[in-house]
Amino acid sequence: MNVGTAHSEVNPNTRVMNSRGMWLSYTLSIGLLHHILLSIPFVSVPVVWTLTNMIHNLCMYLLLHTVKGTPFQTPDQGKARLLTHWEQMDYGVQFTASQRVSYLLTSFYTKYDRVHFVVNTVSLLTVLIPKLPQLHGVRIFGINKY
Amino acid sequence: MTESSGSKLLNGEACQRTLRGKNAGKNGFVKNHCVFEHPRKYRRPTERSQNAAPNSSLYKKPFSESFEETPLLVAVLTYMGYGILTIFGYFRDFLRHWNIEKCHIAHEREQQKDFVPLYQDFENFYTRNLYMRIRDNWNRPICSVPGAKVDLVERVTHNYNWTFEHTGKVVKDVINMGSYNYLGFAENAGACASAAIETTHAYGVGVASTRCEIGNLDIHEELEQLVARFLGVESSMAFGMGFATNSMNIPALTGKGCLILSDELNHASLVLGARLSGSTIRVFKHNNMQSLEKLLRDAIAHGQPRTHRPWKKILIVVEGIYSMEGSIVRLPEVIALKKRYKAYLYLDEAHSIGALGPNGRGVVDYFGLDPKDVDIMMGTFTKSFGAAGGYIGGRKELIDYLRCHSHSALYATSMSPPVAQQIISSMKIIMGEDGSTLGKDRLRQLSENTTYFRRKLREMGFIIYGNDDSPVVPLMLYMPAKIGAFGREMLKRNIGTVVVGFPATPIIESRARFCVSAAHTREMLDTVSLVNLQTPSSDPLHDGRVMGVRRSRRSNL
Repeated sequence: MNVGTAHSEVNPNTRVMNSRGMWLSYTLSIGLLHHILLSIPFVSVPVVWTLTNMIHNLCMYLLLHTVKGTPFQTPDQGKARLLTHWEQMDYGVQFTASQRVSYLLTSFYTKYDRVHFVVNTVSLLTVLIPKLPQLHGVRIFGINKY
Repeated sequence: MTESSGSKLLNGEACQRTLRGKNAGKNGFVKNHCVFEHPRKYRRPTERSQNAAPNSSLYKKPFSESFEETPLLVAVLTYMGYGILTIFGYFRDFLRHWNIEKCHIAHEREQQKDFVPLYQDFENFYTRNLYMRIRDNWNRPICSVPGAKVDLVERVTHNYNWTFEHTGKVVKDVINMGSYNYLGFAENAGACASAAIETTHAYGVGVASTRCEIGNLDIHEELEQLVARFLGVESSMAFGMGFATNSMNIPALTGKGCLILSDELNHASLVLGARLSGSTIRVFKHNNMQSLEKLLRDAIAHGQPRTHRPWKKILIVVEGIYSMEGSIVRLPEVIALKKRYKAYLYLDEAHSIGALGPNGRGVVDYFGLDPKDVDIMMGTFTKSFGAAGGYIGGRKELIDYLRCHSHSALYATSMSPPVAQQIISSMKIIMGEDGSTLGKDRLRQLSENTTYFRRKLREMGFIIYGNDDSPVVPLMLYMPAKIGAFGREMLKRNIGTVVVGFPATPIIESRARFCVSAAHTREMLDTVSLVNLQTPSSDPLHDGRVMGVRRSRRSNL
């Protein structure tokens, strides 16, 4: 299996998020998740919004900030092995925008209830903070170093 | 590392000329002197086709290429496909971890579990969960000469492609749409083969030395003079391996303090050679002359990154035909840019030599340009000549320099004599010097086959990339499951194709690549294009548009 033979990009992971239709698929999948959660009978609407927000942030955290390296061997001799997907990407401004939108919508739908607010804010912060440029490559307490 | 004489002078001059040549207008504002302005403000959003050449006065015939963008629905479905495969991959890894499923891959022994991992588990994810499932489409062993039809060794797998067994049978007469056999010289009978056999009797097969030591045979000299005559350059040099020609010679030509401007889709050998040389590499968008011009202007105006000294050399590296896209380089515009900004041009004609042009002399012949405009003409003998190896052609000083400084000439064994003889015979046939019209017939046949095949597939509505004259025809598949299905279904119907997907291509641009050959007959091409349309026998819903993705709306191409 040859990585990157058809183009000179040695790590295709950096380009995946910029591909056409990625934004639409992302929005659609969040919508799908939300609808699945809505169809659970005994859960109320505010709780569903909070759950959507939390699950979305959790998945995003796992996929972008926990998993390191690439699922294939790249010809760049493992430069990206210790980097999370977020650090490998060249930019991802639209993802932070989506989190802000999601947070605002959730806050609206939970009618600003205090418990929900705390939960949602904490969840949002766990995803926003790792995206700051100051935290590029930082591993707190050595978690997830190797 | 080292540089050829005369280059310093040229680039030094160029730097000053740029500064002096621009006349400051009012208030010191310098107007843009770009050769290629952005031609149109508005571009149709659905197609990123590069149909209209901005400077059509440089082109003698219409240059039509198209790279239709992935339809949005298809892109979303492709991401879903990869998403589902990833989820299943994680699930099966989980099963393997808990020993519910048998684990076939290498893993460390119990005693070494606490050491630094030897086998990076995650790096293997794609290979074991996606690639292994459709691995039977690649590395198929063939057991005959790869001409228009080829024989394959039949193999079965009892554990889902982890291991293969040969049944002992041979699948005969598979139509070969995967070999780079553009002029049909992959044959085991005929003038070329007889000449090669005689040469084997005379010289043997191995040379047992490098060119610089005692491996320089008279047949190599004859070959190099013939290649120089074929290309229309002063002198040329031949090497034993095509990949090594690029990766071993670019380091000898450029070094630290030089700039290499390489196309986005350049082959791995060019990328490797550029990285080995130690020069600064800047990448311009594929076949995009505005991008190249912008890079050239920025490079000359700003100089080297920190010191702002002028670059020692600027080398533009492009290919004749790009084998994964089927596009042809915009050579007239590149040469115009090169002359204006005093850069050097390295043209890799691996796929285009012998396959393009009225006389088969490559992309320079195709556009009707002067070969002396291209500083370094590189090519391979693997594709159109049915042999192996590569060459570099150019001015005499350049080739004399390479004879002493090329890594390949000093350390790699020289070309094998029967291979050299095969190239000599096939090149003479193409040039018409053997007294027959075989060369001309084959060139014409290739060009007709290309036009016919492309037109046929286009009419059927498939999305094809590339230039209308290129014998490399990528047919877009997009979805990961289709890659495996297409390869297998084609083989069931006795057609051998090459399919390629992520990560070798961008994630939403998986494709099947057909290589048209002069040895294909019209019936073979008809069979192949009709098979593309065929439905799987058990599915009545899909009326004729299953495998390749078909264009639904656009009919004006």
